[in-house]
Order: sequence, then C-alpha cells, then structure tokens
Amino acid sequence: MAGVNAATGEQLRAIARLRWLLFVNSLRSVRGRLNLVSRSIAGLFVVAAGVGGGIAVGAGAWAVMMENRLVWLAGLFWLIFLFWQMFPVMATALTQNVDASVLLRFPLKYSAYFLVRLIYGSMDIATALGLCWCTGLFFGISIARWTLIPWALLILVIFVAFNLLLARTVFAWIEHWLSTRHSREIMGVIFLLMMLSIQVSGPVLGRFGSRPSAQRLRVLSKYAVVERAFPPGLAAAALSDFAEGRGQGAILPLALSVGYVGLVLVLLDRRLGRQYRGDNPSFGDKRQDLSNLAAVRRGWRLPLFPTSVSAVFEKELRYFSRSVPMLFTMIMPLVVIFVMWGGRRGLLSSQAQFLFPIGAAYSLLIMTNIVYNSFGGDGSGVQFFLVSPVPFRQVALAKNLAQLSVFLMDVFILWIGIRFIYRPPNLRVSIFTFAWCLFAVPLNFSAGNLLSIYSPKRIDLATFGRQRASEATILASLAVQITGVGLGALAIYIGKLASTLWAGSFMLFGLAAITIPGYVLLLQRMDRFALQRREVLAAELFRT
Amino acid sequence: MEPAILTEGLTRRFGDFTAVDGVHLLVVPGQFYGFLGPNGAGKSTTIKMLTGLMSPTAGRIQILGLNLATHPVEVKRQIGVVPEGMALFGRLTGSEYLNFAGRMYGLDRDTAAQRAAELLDFMQLSDQPKTLITDYSHGMQKKLAMAAAVIHGPKVLFLDEPFEGVDAVASGTLKSMLQRMTSHGATIFLTSHVLEIVERLCTHVGIIHNGRLVAQGPIDELRAGVSAGGRQTKITLEEFFLQTVGGANKEAQELSWLG
Repeated sequence: MAGVNAATGEQLRAIARLRWLLFVNSLRSVRGRLNLVSRSIAGLFVVAAGVGGGIAVGAGAWAVMMENRLVWLAGLFWLIFLFWQMFPVMATALTQNVDASVLLRFPLKYSAYFLVRLIYGSMDIATALGLCWCTGLFFGISIARWTLIPWALLILVIFVAFNLLLARTVFAWIEHWLSTRHSREIMGVIFLLMMLSIQVSGPVLGRFGSRPSAQRLRVLSKYAVVERAFPPGLAAAALSDFAEGRGQGAILPLALSVGYVGLVLVLLDRRLGRQYRGDNPSFGDKRQDLSNLAAVRRGWRLPLFPTSVSAVFEKELRYFSRSVPMLFTMIMPLVVIFVMWGGRRGLLSSQAQFLFPIGAAYSLLIMTNIVYNSFGGDGSGVQFFLVSPVPFRQVALAKNLAQLSVFLMDVFILWIGIRFIYRPPNLRVSIFTFAWCLFAVPLNFSAGNLLSIYSPKRIDLATFGRQRASEATILASLAVQITGVGLGALAIYIGKLASTLWAGSFMLFGLAAITIPGYVLLLQRMDRFALQRREVLAAELFRT
Repeated sequence: MEPAILTEGLTRRFGDFTAVDGVHLLVVPGQFYGFLGPNGAGKSTTIKMLTGLMSPTAGRIQILGLNLATHPVEVKRQIGVVPEGMALFGRLTGSEYLNFAGRMYGLDRDTAAQRAAELLDFMQLSDQPKTLITDYSHGMQKKLAMAAAVIHGPKVLFLDEPFEGVDAVASGTLKSMLQRMTSHGATIFLTSHVLEIVERLCTHVGIIHNGRLVAQGPIDELRAGVSAGGRQTKITLEEFFLQTVGGANKEAQELSWLG
C-alpha cells in the first residue's frame, strides 16, 4: 500500500496539472481553439468590468470617507455581496461548477477535496469581479484614510472569505436539496411563496413610497438595525466604528462577521463531508416502486405534426420538467423585475410598460443553454437520433417547439407578474413584444440549431452550475442576443421618433418576415449539417 | 437473395492512421455474425460506419440491398442498433424511453405502448416503472438499450458489446431473445470480447486485426485447425483467435513490484 497515502500537497499539484493538461489538450481541436479565443474575448469584458467596477467602487468608498458619510459604506458592501451571490444563479449560462466528485475514486484526503471544491468552484466571473471590487474598495478607503489600512484589510478579508464560502455553500446545498423528489416539491412551494411575496410586497412598498421623507427616513433607520445584522452591514459597521475612532465598538461586528464565516464554513463542511463519504446528489429518485406492472401510457400527440416530432417534443418537456435548475432559472425574469423595481416611484415606474418586452428578452437570454446547446443534455442519447430513421430536421423542430413552449410559459408568468406588480401591459406594448418575439425567437432558434450541431458540449441539466455551453457558443449566442435586443431598442427609438410605438412594431414585423423564412430554410438543411457533423456530435456528447 | 450486410473496400482513416482498411464483409440474412478483434483493431469504427454513425473514407456499404450512403433513412428503418454508449436518455423512465423509441421508428402510439410494456416485462424491468434510467444498473441499462433496438422488429440488429457488464441471468434473457430473432430470419451482427459467448451464439465470425479483415466464415470451418501431426483437429475459437491475431502473452516480469 506504499504510496497510497500520498501527501495532500502532491494530490493538489496533480489535480492542478490534470486541469492544465485538459486545457492544453483541448487546444488540439478547432473547437478548443475557438473556445480559447471566446474565453479571451470574454476575459477582456471581465477585466473591464472588474477594473472599471473596482475603480467605481473605490471612488465611491473614497468619496464616502472624505465626506464622512459613513452610513453609505453599507451600500457598497451590499452591492458587492448581492452581485457575488446572485449573479451565478441568475446567469447560469455564464457560470460553471466543476464536478469534483469524480475525484473521489482516488485516495483524496478530505482536506484536499474541500480545497479543490472551494478553489475550483470559485473560479467564476462573480468571484473574479467580487474580488476586483473589494480591492477597489480597499484602495478607496486606504487612499482616503491611510490609518484605516490594517482594519480595512482585516474586514475585507473576512468579507471576501464569507462570500467565497457562502457561494459554494449555497450551490452545494441547493444541489443536495434538489436531488430528491420530496425536497424538490418543498423547494417548489418555497418558489411559489416567493412569487406570491413579490406580489404582496408591491402594495406594501408602494404605500411606503408615498409617505413623507422624514417618516421614510425613520422607517429606514429602523430597518438599518436589521441590515447591520448581516455580513455586509456588519463589515460596514465595523469599518465605520474604526473610522470614527471607536475601536471597541467594532469588536462586536467583527466578531459577528467571523461568526458568520464560521457558520457558513460549518454548513459547507457538513455538505462536502457527506459528499466525501459517498452521499452524492443525483437527479433521479432512488425510490423502489414495486407496484405491479403498470400499463405503459400512450405517448403525447401534437396535432399537425408527425409522430416522431411528438415523441421528441414529449421527451424534451419531460427533461425540462425534471431539471429543477432549469425551472429555477425560469422564474428569474420575475426576480429581475422585482430587483429593478424601486416602488411605484422607483427607477422604472415611469417606463413600467416596457418591463414586458425587457422581461421577454431576458426570458430568451436565460434559455441560452437549452437553445444554443440543445443536444448537450442528451449525452450519449444523441446517438439514438443519429441511428433512428427520423430526419434530423424533425428532431430539431421538435426541440424548438419544446423550447418555444417553455419560453411562452415564461412570458405568460411574466405577464401575470407585471400585471400584479404594476398594471397589465397595454395593447401597443403587448403587440410590440409579440412582434419582437416573432423576430427574435426564429433568429435565436436558427443560430441555436447551428451552434448545437457545430459546437456541442455535454451538460448536466440536473445539477446546478453544470449547464454551461461551450465558450464559443456563449459568445456567439451573446452576439445574436445583443443584435436582437439592439434591434428591439432601435424599434423603440423609431417608435419615439414617429410618436407611435406602432412604427417600431411595424419594423419588427418586417424583420420577422426575414427571420421566419430564414429559420425554415435553415431547418430544411439540418439533415445535411447533422450528417456532416455526426461524428463530432456523437464523440463530444459521449464524452464524460 | 440480397446479403443482409455487404461492404466493399470499407476504409476509414483518421489523418495518417488507417483504422479500417479495405474491409469486405458479407453477412447473409439469418446469420448470427460475431465480429471479433483485439482492442483498437477497428471493430467499433466498423460498426459505427455500418450504422451510419460515421462516414467511411472509402468503400461502399449495402444493408439489405440498399446503399447506406444514398438511402440512409430506408436502411435505418430496417435496422436496430445498440451502440457503444447505449444511446439512452438518462432522465426518462424505462417505459417512457421505449415508448419514445417505438414512435421514433414509426410505430403508432398504441403499438408503441403495447410493445414497450411487453418488452419491459420480458426484460424484467417492469417492476420499477418510475425509476429514471440514470438510476438503473449497468445491466438494466443494457437490457433497456436492447429492448429499444428491437421494438420495431428490425431485420438486422447491430450490437456493440451487448453482454459487457451483464449478469448471467440477464445475459440468458438476452441470448434467448437474440436466438429467437435469428430463428425468425433476422440477422445479428455483434462485437464482443467474450469469445465463449460468440462461440456459443454465433454461426459465423469475422476477425479484424489492425484494421484488416483477417478471417471470415462459418465458425465450425474456422475452428477446424490442423495439428502438428498434420491431422484435422477441432480447436476452440479462442485458440483460433490467438493464432490469427498473434496474441502472445506478454511477460509481466517488469512489474515485479506487483508481488
């Protein structure tokens, strides 16, 4: 057994080397090289957002310190905290969790496993930007008051540790909770309650917004006590205390911050510890239903479509319904509307009508993974499509129909949400949104079908953070979506110029007259594309 | 009678490497054909080309008299395939998958549902109707893949390592089903590493080595070897296989640390 208990450091080095070799070997293929280019371009955006955001946050912190408006410090900490924790969930297309559980077959020590999960899990955009912004915050504070350098450093290290651990903990636990049908149902109820609470909170906040400003300030100061009970508020409170020379007063918020880090560490340790001992999440229920032979139910039938299209459509919807991360993502447009909403007198209240097209555009954006990598979730099942006598265009059509159903359902939920939070979108805006969808959906589906065949990547629809398509696909899909949204914005502008939104809608109907035949034309060529790419499709999606 | 499978000069190159080199296969209807070869010999590449999963660099493939390159859909309608990856959709239940497979092969909804129920029962998979395929054991997945491949009653069945990871009971079930199919005129083309199974089931074998078909014929003829004294003697398929591919045992002396 000599050598089995290799040192943890050696194991970590081996894993790092493995990842490096995987990266180097990926460059052998054209797709791998394209991914590197895409990653570099995306990296530029991340660097810009990191540096730009860091400078902005730093300037904000500097101004707060110079003008001695320390109460605003909490805002900066909350901004970083909310982005760090919410971005990975809201933009799963840009987030990826590395499945480190495959390493458990090796004699990996728990400490090494924990570190690997933490380090590789933290290699995402949210962490990179969060770290940049925290650095900006540190420099802003330090330049304004150099005497605060050690305290700012200490507080920010604790804050960063908390965010790193919390992000991993949330993913680890959600993954676990969603692994069984029972807990999925509980989570479903929680989501439902969340949606209801959004509707209830509308009138409450509206009433609050109509109060006199003195009264609002009094209420806000009451809630500030609550805010200070959480890590961003605690970090800001500790820093304010040090800045005002009340070092002793900072001890409690500092201690509580450390306590939060400890709590999150324990929670993460509990989950990873169980995973390490073999309790890995699976998207299937291990239930043993020993009831007697159940007659096999007949499949669904889509009127006007061949049986094969109905069969694939049914299969796709069953897949979506069993992917809770996908369902979770679907309610995100509502959450975004809530986040953007600042009450009836808030940021968007004057333009509330346009929340409907904005929400529809976001609904299409969050479908990137399933539209632009539509075979990714099938894994080796794609071989079945390739050996079956069904033309590939029918498979693609069925997948698009299923995606369209999900999109329409999402838009419908959105409409309900907007109707309750604000008022029903008026006819002009509804027609405008319809026209935009008529133009943008075929555009996205056409590009999605092509990229699904030319840049496939095996994904796990059932596990949080493992739905990301290839980098090349993400970049191309973003380009298509920016075009779609840009033309939508242009249509609004034209509507404003013409003093009627109908002009914008007319323009979008015109564009739809191009994208719909384009989609049909492309669909007819899908058999040829699939034939050309069948080996890559089968090989890429068979890969584990 | 048209051959069930006929290839002429079937070749596949990957860059400079020739995985399959001018293979001429002939399998007549009703044959149980075992396709053998050491690892990396070109078995899976050949079966992928025969089932339309991979295109040949050169050569022609004819299945049941139809050219695969020009009539892919017509060919696929008449064949069943259990490929290397089993081609399962992990997040469907067994019955949902069979139902889906039946309809993809053109069965109407009632027939697909009825055959799915019968196959689940035959394969002893019907006692877990709500279990997702991903939670099936490897053997259960193999049985399900096999059920999906035969649901439309194919005339030719291609099986890539069908018995790998399958227990003796399940293996018996599969074998009886395959034998029943050949007795009704279906052709079966399988690859396997387990020579005992091939010896027991197959009527004909082909052996591929370094991409070339080095032997092909009825199994009894191939096993009729010649002893040192020049007398006709019957050898096992394993002996014939090792003679043909030159499988000398590598001494393990370098691995002294294994003890």
